[in-house]
Amino acid sequence: MGLAKIKEALAGLAVTDEIEVVKTIPAPPPAEGEAPGKPVEVKEKVEQNMLFTPDYAKKGYHLDVKVTPQDVVTAARILIAQEFFLESITGVDWMKDGQIEVVYDFNLWQTLCRVVIRTRTDRTNPEVPTISDIYSGANWHERETHDFFGVTFTGHPDLSPLLLPEDADFHPLLKDFKA
Amino acid sequence: MAPLDQVLALGRANSLWPMTFGLACCAIEMMAAGASRFDLARFGAEVFRPSPRQCDVMIVAGTISKKMEPAVKTLYDQMPEPKWVIAMGNCAISGGPFVFPGQYGIVEGADKFLPVDIYIPGCPPRPEALIEGILELEEKITGSRRWPRVQCG
Amino acid sequence: MSADVIDKSLETFVLNLGPQHPATHGVLRVKLTMDGEYIVHAEPVLGYIHRMHEKMGENRTWAQFMPNTGRLDYLAALSYNHGYAMAAERAEGIEVPERAEYIRCITVELNRIASHLLWFGAFVLDLGGFTPLLYAFDDREQILDLLESVTGARLTFCYFRFGGVYNDIDDNFITGTREFIKRLRSRMPMYHDLVTKNIILIKRLKDIGPISQEMCRRYGATGPVLRGSGVNFDVRKHEPYSVYPEFDFDIPVYTEGDSMARYMVRMDEMEQSMRIVEQGLNKLPEGPVMAAKAPKILKPAKGDYYCAVEAARGSFGIRLVSDGTNTPYRLKLRSPTFSNLSLFSEACHGMLLPDALALMGTLDLVIPEIDR
Repeated sequence: MGLAKIKEALAGLAVTDEIEVVKTIPAPPPAEGEAPGKPVEVKEKVEQNMLFTPDYAKKGYHLDVKVTPQDVVTAARILIAQEFFLESITGVDWMKDGQIEVVYDFNLWQTLCRVVIRTRTDRTNPEVPTISDIYSGANWHERETHDFFGVTFTGHPDLSPLLLPEDADFHPLLKDFKA
Repeated sequence: MAPLDQVLALGRANSLWPMTFGLACCAIEMMAAGASRFDLARFGAEVFRPSPRQCDVMIVAGTISKKMEPAVKTLYDQMPEPKWVIAMGNCAISGGPFVFPGQYGIVEGADKFLPVDIYIPGCPPRPEALIEGILELEEKITGSRRWPRVQCG
Repeated sequence: MSADVIDKSLETFVLNLGPQHPATHGVLRVKLTMDGEYIVHAEPVLGYIHRMHEKMGENRTWAQFMPNTGRLDYLAALSYNHGYAMAAERAEGIEVPERAEYIRCITVELNRIASHLLWFGAFVLDLGGFTPLLYAFDDREQILDLLESVTGARLTFCYFRFGGVYNDIDDNFITGTREFIKRLRSRMPMYHDLVTKNIILIKRLKDIGPISQEMCRRYGATGPVLRGSGVNFDVRKHEPYSVYPEFDFDIPVYTEGDSMARYMVRMDEMEQSMRIVEQGLNKLPEGPVMAAKAPKILKPAKGDYYCAVEAARGSFGIRLVSDGTNTPYRLKLRSPTFSNLSLFSEACHGMLLPDALALMGTLDLVIPEIDR
């Protein structure tokens, strides 16, 4: 099955992030004559392996892997070897975290298996290696992401504006963009 | 108008040659107006010429983006006199549905840099609206309208 | 392909195709480096109709963005409505009643036939034949009459709502559609006799513009471009959504990979869409056309969601990132024509210019969908 194979292949690349979870500690049983206490909510940081298999009916994709920017190229090589095709590349500006997330969508012709590769990079100087030598279609997708977010895809042959005017020096989809 | 001018105006009005300048969705309604059902040929305006040197009227059909603006101006300048401009659709009139605070990409209306003669509102305007616009332009050129006005109600 | 790869011994010149040109695809500019009549390098230049849809997605509420989806690919606008409505319904967890699903499929397929008819007319116009355009537009006007009686619009539809459709179809629509299908079925042999079997068309399309499967995989091409190269990939069968599993239809696939194959795929798709519409009308259940509990203001749970539908030009995908508020945080529109056009540069290398235009015609471009 496509999903099991690709999950195994990409498992090694998934990063481990520290994420905050909210734990509810139930109140201790009350002593005699005392009113019952309230449960307490505690925030704690846990280590989470960022490889998920979400519910397809709810989310629309089967596998979600977060990798480091450098590992994006390795992931693309694994995916093209397993005959995935590139659907789209885009960015998301997480201004509060100070990061830009680049999201890659892949899919299979034979069986339905949608794989999402994510990577996060620093917002002030966003850089991700290009995959346009592996997937030729990434050439235009990366140019578009560069237009909208300013992400530099190192190794890209020509990162000139695709959708914006040739002399554009602004990145409109950043959250602090002012026209 | 002097009689010779009147004859020339009549000739120009009834054989307007539009330029194929469909930018976006309104272009399809322009094509539909030139096609079999709505038939602009009845009014003499069926000959859509791609080259601006051979046209009388530029029907700006669609949104003008800031990247496209110099090209539109160049095409307008290349048309020989006498020439007219019809702004078709909300985008050509005032930017249409794409105007929002913080917009960075479009020119809010063809009349920001072109002298527009006729405005045809709609998103997209029906082919009948485009035909009405052409008839209004004919009235503007000749001074009188040959076709009856549609009475509503 | 960068300029220094071009053989310096050739005497080349740069020809600018567009952004205003008679092949009415919209505003596409292609910088062609020509060696006589042969193309050495083709570089499409985009952005002449960039209308900031994705930025508007962040500034509009979920419901306010629906009219934008009609203006992306205006020839087959209902499938874009469908994709966006499905994505938001998936995010919010809204169930659509069955009658609404059937109406959605029927109207989307009628829109697909209208889009293919216009493609057919405009494509043959590109190749130099003016007459089929008039016949195709005549049939297309009949579809637009039917859709206008139900949706109120001829071109840039905004008919779907979250939870269903906003207007029910009536008996006039049903009888009108059945008559239309009968009429179009009787006209298709004429189209094939007049155009498909025309020796000039065959000579202009057969073995012209080959696109291999491997090229489609690298560029992410979908839709008739992919099916003309022998890959049986259609989102309606591959990733069934709405009530498509209830219909019995085939996916036309041709293995040659040339322009003739892509042309035949679209002609056959029109027949298959007619089958779906017929079956949809026969099986149409009674019931409401709007979900009873559809919220007026959408506030989906945090996270991102993906949804794909089969538009007339390929697989249209929407990636929604929601932050729990009433406007999307990020709305990415995966446009099928964007990926289809990206292979043009590689595919037309070394071709004659008219052949490259035939290839571009079979890619079925709608530039506002590429530029968004």
